[in-house]
Amino acid sequence: MKLFKKKKMVATNEFNQTVEGTSLTKEAWKRLRKNKMAVVGMVVVIIYALLAIFADALPLYPYDEAITQHQNLRPSLTRSAGELMLEQRLKNIYFQAWRNGELAVSEEDDARIREWVQESRTNAVWDLVYKYGEEARANGTFEFSRSAQRQIDRMLEDIENDIQITVNHLYAYDADGERYEVANADYQTLLNLYSTLLNVEPSLVETTLRNEVRTSVSNQVRANDETLEGEDLEAAVELEMDALGEEGYQERATQNLVGYIMQLARREAERDVSAQNSEGTITFPYKGSFELSSGMTAEIEASKMHERRYYLGTDYLGRDLLSRIIYGGQISIAIGLVGTIASFVIGILVGSLAGYLGGRVDYYLMRFVDIMYGLPYMLLVIICMAIFGRNILNLFLALALVSWLTIARMVRGQIMSLKNQEYVEAARSMGASTFHIILRHMIPNSLSVIIVYSTIRIPAFIMQESFLSFLGLGVQAPYASWGSLIGDAVSSMTLYPYKLIAPSVVMVVFLFAMNFFGDGLRDAFDPQSKNQL
Amino acid sequence: MTKYIIKRLLGMIPTILIIITLSFFIVRIAPGGPFDGERVLTEAVRRNIEARYHFDEPLVKQYARYMFDVLRGDLGPSYKYKDHDVNYLIGNSLPNSIVLGSMAMAVALVFGISLGITAAVKQNTILDYFPMCLAALGLSVPLFVVAPLLQQIFSMQLHWFPTTGWFMTTGGGGWKTAVLPTIALSFAYYADIARLTRSSMLETLRSDYIRTAKAKGMKNSTIIFKHAMKGAMLPVVSYLGPAFAGILTGSIVVEQVFTIPGLGKFFVQSSFNRDYTLIVGVVIVYSIILVIMNFIVDIVYAQLDPRITYK
Repeated sequence: MKLFKKKKMVATNEFNQTVEGTSLTKEAWKRLRKNKMAVVGMVVVIIYALLAIFADALPLYPYDEAITQHQNLRPSLTRSAGELMLEQRLKNIYFQAWRNGELAVSEEDDARIREWVQESRTNAVWDLVYKYGEEARANGTFEFSRSAQRQIDRMLEDIENDIQITVNHLYAYDADGERYEVANADYQTLLNLYSTLLNVEPSLVETTLRNEVRTSVSNQVRANDETLEGEDLEAAVELEMDALGEEGYQERATQNLVGYIMQLARREAERDVSAQNSEGTITFPYKGSFELSSGMTAEIEASKMHERRYYLGTDYLGRDLLSRIIYGGQISIAIGLVGTIASFVIGILVGSLAGYLGGRVDYYLMRFVDIMYGLPYMLLVIICMAIFGRNILNLFLALALVSWLTIARMVRGQIMSLKNQEYVEAARSMGASTFHIILRHMIPNSLSVIIVYSTIRIPAFIMQESFLSFLGLGVQAPYASWGSLIGDAVSSMTLYPYKLIAPSVVMVVFLFAMNFFGDGLRDAFDPQSKNQL
Repeated sequence: MTKYIIKRLLGMIPTILIIITLSFFIVRIAPGGPFDGERVLTEAVRRNIEARYHFDEPLVKQYARYMFDVLRGDLGPSYKYKDHDVNYLIGNSLPNSIVLGSMAMAVALVFGISLGITAAVKQNTILDYFPMCLAALGLSVPLFVVAPLLQQIFSMQLHWFPTTGWFMTTGGGGWKTAVLPTIALSFAYYADIARLTRSSMLETLRSDYIRTAKAKGMKNSTIIFKHAMKGAMLPVVSYLGPAFAGILTGSIVVEQVFTIPGLGKFFVQSSFNRDYTLIVGVVIVYSIILVIMNFIVDIVYAQLDPRITYK
């Protein structure tokens, strides 16, 4: 491995020509390149990795931004959210009309629809009724009822006028006309700014803020200990407030202030942008700085809310599925990597100690590994998640804690076989310490096998993480992972099959690629391998 | 051989003791308990409850009591289901899980081994490619994708099988309810077993003693089933231990998707409810099943492989 070579040694033959030796890595790379499936797998894995790394730079909608009107929209490449919303509304209206006998449908289809309704094949019913409805409307044989027309009109109006604004940065000006960013300003400045914006005395704002902080502290205290009441509670809150001090108070109050000012600015921006929209002086999507009427400057992104396009549809809260899949991939891949690295480190540590020291240390360590092997591994992870709380960090820890066993065994085997080699003996006779021998001689020599094995383990980690998330024990909202996306989709898969299909396909393709790549790597580094599983 | 079996049996004891000890401490450490309800309890009620769960005794005594109870086969009261103890809850759901798991294992073994052997014998023909493609698919498609997809296709679209239900419960539908869960659960293990069988069979078929057998003019079927099979099955047998563990956990997903009243579903529910005694009870039961399965696998392995001597 290049990583561990200190300096390049030049070998020469008797004619003083440099002899280029091929390293294991080079040889392996050559073999890997011949394996077409492995190369395809590698390319796919790299694409996924790039997408995950640069997800923030991609033009995606925020993965946790829920727009209520955009719930459960179908995936569509060509049509915008507004059109899909309208279509869904029309389907509902036509269906109502068919129910009330206002929409004429041929005898045969009428029977079919009735049958479908019985079998709750909602999508088929909607599509057919929509087709009839549109035809009837084009022929002029069908007219919307008054209330339906009103619904449609209101929706069309919304589609035209609803504007989505995100304030990325907000700037204000101090007394000298100097510009500063609100999110970074200090407490006093913000207090003054907010009170001028609201047109009230700063002291009044301050009193309110103090009360707010006190309330939140009191809530916290109560959440920690539910038994506290009355005077005890008062005393505990007082104690907490003292511990918080003036500095702690200001910190919290500053956070609140920033939130309020941003909210104010957003509302103002919305008002100003809609005003400009009705005048027709602004084009969408708008991105850039915007002068607010209160004198602040905001960097905003404004777009017509219903002009969004959801290429993979939206979920039950109206969040963009494409963006959730990409960000979910980020988490899934990160867990695969971190889990592998953690298990790699623990495994090398335990395995090399056991292998090199031998004797009693080896016996007890390996007994321990044997016993851990006997335990149902995933159940332990689930217990950890249940006890220590369901968040990503615990997930990382729980997976890493129970997954180092195989690597430890492998490293031990490798080290045992290397222990009696001449170069190790030579190092020992030169007085190298145990630690040095393990770290500088043995681990580098067994590293390639271990790394290859770890690559093969990554998909297993991703599957385990997704398995937990599928059960609702892994990644928690608003974060997503492939597993949790699939888990969310299962309950409504008849009505919205795309929600199940999209994340499943993405995940399966990745696992496929990863498996082929891992197998290719193993074959390349270790062509004699008998362990073909 | 007898000596080896006894040694392995004795070796199971510390594992089981450690599992029980771990379980005890998990329940003790875990935040929240049977009396952490919404209401604030008065001192007297609290003391009564503590006495009922023996929380007022010193830790050593509690540990001894717990250990003794578990060894006697009593997993204690459930924290959440006040009317039943853990034994009752597990006893009711475990048979369903065991039947599902065994059926899946059997299907995986039958298809995995037979298709793996065919693939090895008819290498580079359609009989090789098709099962191996299926196996590659099984390796990459997670169980929680397979199960909903099967449900979607075969019960929602084609109406061949019922979507949910379980034939062992009263009024749960006939044998048809068992088909999809079994296929879903066995798919991944079919994949592993088929690939293992194929590669080890290929390797065995290349070895010298097989060539000798061929040279003697033996029938092909005799060579495969009498000579090669025994050696080729060794990796498969040693794979069975981890496979059992996987099927146990995998059945959690299948039970969830097909709403089968098995142990896995309980396990997930109880970990949401923080019903620690139930969680720990399930883990103890699963671990003991797993330890026993590993033991059986070891014995079978020793029987199959005459090269290994056991002292």
